[in-house]
Amino acid sequence: MGSDMNSIPGTIAAIDTDGNLSLVDIEVTSDFRMSALIVETPEHCPWLKTGHKIKILFKETEVSIARNLSGQISLRNRFAATITDIRSEGMLAEITLERAGHQVVSIITSRSAQRMELKTGDQVEWLVKANEVSLTGN
Amino acid sequence: MIQVHVSKRLHTAEGPMDLVFSGTIEQGEFITLFGPSGAGKTTLLRMIAGLTTPDSGTIIVDGQPWFDSGRRINLSPRRRSIGMVFQDYALFPNLTVAENIGLALPREKRGVIVGELLEVAGLQELAGRKPDKLSGGQRQRVALARALALKPTILLLDEPLSALDLQMRLKLQDELLRLHQRYQPTTLLVSHDLSEVFRLSRRVFVLDRGEVTRSGSPTEVFSQSKISNKFRFNGEVVHIKPSGVVYIVHVLVGQDIVQVIASEREIATLKVGKRVLIASKAFNPLIMPLDE
Repeated sequence: MGSDMNSIPGTIAAIDTDGNLSLVDIEVTSDFRMSALIVETPEHCPWLKTGHKIKILFKETEVSIARNLSGQISLRNRFAATITDIRSEGMLAEITLERAGHQVVSIITSRSAQRMELKTGDQVEWLVKANEVSLTGN
Repeated sequence: MIQVHVSKRLHTAEGPMDLVFSGTIEQGEFITLFGPSGAGKTTLLRMIAGLTTPDSGTIIVDGQPWFDSGRRINLSPRRRSIGMVFQDYALFPNLTVAENIGLALPREKRGVIVGELLEVAGLQELAGRKPDKLSGGQRQRVALARALALKPTILLLDEPLSALDLQMRLKLQDELLRLHQRYQPTTLLVSHDLSEVFRLSRRVFVLDRGEVTRSGSPTEVFSQSKISNKFRFNGEVVHIKPSGVVYIVHVLVGQDIVQVIASEREIATLKVGKRVLIASKAFNPLIMPLDE
């Protein structure tokens, strides 16, 4: 697996298991923690252990972008970031974001990008649901 | 069931090499031997066929010893229930398709069996032709039908499709699967085409310099990824279509074409013909019963 999709290295900080499901907290940096909900358990998966280094993978098209987000939201994977590049062509726009030296790409509709008037240098938040996040170990 | 435990010293361009193979193959199983040329794959097939004698070991087929160095047993190729197909068809040029297929059969059974094989292999129209009037794909089909004529216990295939173009190869792979399902010979295929390994076999032995380095299902053996996803498939990229900032990748999974959206960065590592793992979260797929 190359570093082609959104791929962020991290260390497993905590695992909460219920039946066949695990909610895994991964520390990327001390102020950058992501959660992944996976159909896997530490019992069956050798790398699913606290302290193990893994990679966090998620599809660009599952990443939402928000500005001035207020109110309550169920998502825990929400992170402040800076837009470093925007590529819009036809229906879709590819937004490149950076946080703590890690790059994340979001693909949203061009319509939304225009409505939000997104441009390079903007401070925004990106969000991804924990059940859209995959993990890969060694 | 075939139990093979053999070793043989081979003299190669890079010096002596010990070919060691130990494995059990179940009745009706389809396995591939995969590896670079010179790894010992063909020699292993020849040892099972009785064309090459191992230095030591045993080859037991359904409880019957075909080879046992300790007991000095070594059945001749004719006494082993084997069908073989090689890359170079080796059909008899002066015989027709039907005569080639029926050559080894007893006269009284010949008509019925040849008739069935011609039908099953789709060769009826070509029954009266000589090999030089056939295409490469047709010749291999005849060779396959001939190999199956005696209903062998074991079918040995040494890169039978490697000289054919992609389209003919895919067609004959389907044919091979169909024939295997119908006659269920225990089949050993030598191949260095990864797609072929995935499409045809349930189990693969990877040989390198005379040794089995890995074995298991093609997915276990070739998928390096230790990804958590439970919703995943192996497939082959058949088409890539750009669409704005993304690409639509068509992937052949089994008999179905599925489509996957890929970003520009993902595309950099893909091309048509590439084997890929596609994975999604088990949370995403919709599941609904089909009308019956």
